[in-house]
Amino acid sequence: MTAPERSPAEAAAAAPEPLFELPKELAIDTAVARRVIAAFIRGQLRQAGFEHAVLGLSGGIDSALVAYLTAEAIGPERLLTLLMPYRTSAPASLADAQDVVRRLGCASEVVDISPMVDGFYATQPDASALRRGNFMARMRMAVLYDRSVTWGGLVVGTGNKTETLIGYTTLFGDAACAFNPIGDLYKTQVRQLAVAVGVAEVIIRKAPSADLWPGQTDEDEGAFEYHELDRLLFWMIDRRRTDAELVEMGFDRATVERVGRMVAGSEFKRQVPPIAKLGPRTAGVDYLYPRRRPGSTRG
Amino acid sequence: MPSLRIALAQIAPRLGLLEENLEQHRAILADARSQGAGLVVFPELGLTGYLVQDLASDVAMRLDDPRLMDLVEATKGLSAIVSFVEESADHRLFIAAALIEDGRMRHVHRKLFLPTYGLFDERRFFGAGDVLRAVPSRLGVGIGIAVCEDFWHVSVPHLLALDGAQILVNVSSSPGRDLASTSEVGLGTATSWRTLMRTYAQLTTSVAVFCNRVGVDESFSFWGGSEVIGPSGQALFSAPLWDEGLFTVDVDLADIRRERIALPLLRDERPELVARELDRIIAERGGLTRDSTAADGSEPGLDVAPIPAIDGSLR
Repeated sequence: MTAPERSPAEAAAAAPEPLFELPKELAIDTAVARRVIAAFIRGQLRQAGFEHAVLGLSGGIDSALVAYLTAEAIGPERLLTLLMPYRTSAPASLADAQDVVRRLGCASEVVDISPMVDGFYATQPDASALRRGNFMARMRMAVLYDRSVTWGGLVVGTGNKTETLIGYTTLFGDAACAFNPIGDLYKTQVRQLAVAVGVAEVIIRKAPSADLWPGQTDEDEGAFEYHELDRLLFWMIDRRRTDAELVEMGFDRATVERVGRMVAGSEFKRQVPPIAKLGPRTAGVDYLYPRRRPGSTRG
Repeated sequence: MPSLRIALAQIAPRLGLLEENLEQHRAILADARSQGAGLVVFPELGLTGYLVQDLASDVAMRLDDPRLMDLVEATKGLSAIVSFVEESADHRLFIAAALIEDGRMRHVHRKLFLPTYGLFDERRFFGAGDVLRAVPSRLGVGIGIAVCEDFWHVSVPHLLALDGAQILVNVSSSPGRDLASTSEVGLGTATSWRTLMRTYAQLTTSVAVFCNRVGVDESFSFWGGSEVIGPSGQALFSAPLWDEGLFTVDVDLADIRRERIALPLLRDERPELVARELDRIIAERGGLTRDSTAADGSEPGLDVAPIPAIDGSLR
């Protein structure tokens, strides 16, 4: 028996609504990306002499994707996920993260960072939301690096290319890691890969948020939409278009200038801090070695 | 002319671990010999790994290094192309690829073009070679060896073919990038290399061999995709992307003669024309003669003329 024929219009009406908007120039071959990333994760661990990995699972799409990719690369039994809510974090975030853990079958631990954060700010009730948010990100980093010792694994980064380029990260907070498998993927490419690896639809659909205060979303806070921002960054950074050329392509001039300033202003977050050049050989200047080399492997 | 079995060693060298890589090379030579291979090709810096940076001097070998000699001795009845960091007597470091066969080192090619742009930083750590030669081999045909970036300069395959090469061999450590879904195999780098190798094979009516590594050094993922292209530009074999392996392919060397009789491009080449025009271009760039494409009023060696002031003098 064959299915009854449907007209193209009927088929279109019946097709599920796309999970997200994907600019065509940002489409990647997800099968190739999965292969490269799996080999990258295994290579990074092997070169460092590790077999295990640890990462912070927020309930958002970036860390969910990295958890899936890491589990795919080394097996879920070698992955520890840390769920680190603060008391004002959305309960749905924890639930979504726990769903990832259930689906992957990886190890997990919930660490409430409220006492650490509240303890520090007890005498500073007027601290701004931004300061508190950055502090939370750095507390999570501290917990991840502590557990990386007990779990015997490397910390896997979960930042994407969009937030890295515009500087929507906390220095030595969420940006801290041993290696990052998705740092060269824009947010819309993260979504594309998340669909390919089977991340739950609820995670893919929900509005991206740093979840540092109730109701916060990236797109409200930055006044942008990811698919447009990604397109702009792609043409600006990857394809080297000038501001004038970008405007000619149809991008809004004020947005082009604003995003250009965000990228330039966050250069410091993407680089190793400079060391004053004094001696004959200086790390990062004229002492240049691969991170992993003979003698650097543990044990 | 007999059929030649070419073995492509699409390996993932261990970064900086010379002894381990030497051991792997010896094992692969033995494996290829048992499979009846006549020519075994290893990727660029297969003995050291690609991203050596300041490790280059630690893993460098002179051409008389006993470790290298051990490997050379393992080529009885075989031809192989191996690649390593070479240190000259006066302590310059080069990315080298050597043709070793029947227990002797037949030829050493030093990489001519060292990419130092974008993700590459080779000129910082290595010197560039000054010699390009096709070499005769025990296989009965001339071989032309090039390393990776050398083949992004059209003069290299051109000169090798004019010099008598009938098999062009490019050994590479090409990092994969540009993961566009619109490209042929999902990877922009692979599409570029596939185009280059087919074009060179056809234009030089030669067998073109591309051996690229796999594995990961730091941020770079090497994509493999080694190939052998016949003299009419058709792929005789394409290795899988990303997978490590020893792949063999049989090539009928008589195809080269057939193609060159049918399509005598090399017979019709005009090296004297090329040399004459190059001499002119070099003289123009050096400011020794007027540049035919420079603006009127430009200085010797420059091609843009300053704007004259209103009174006619130069500002």
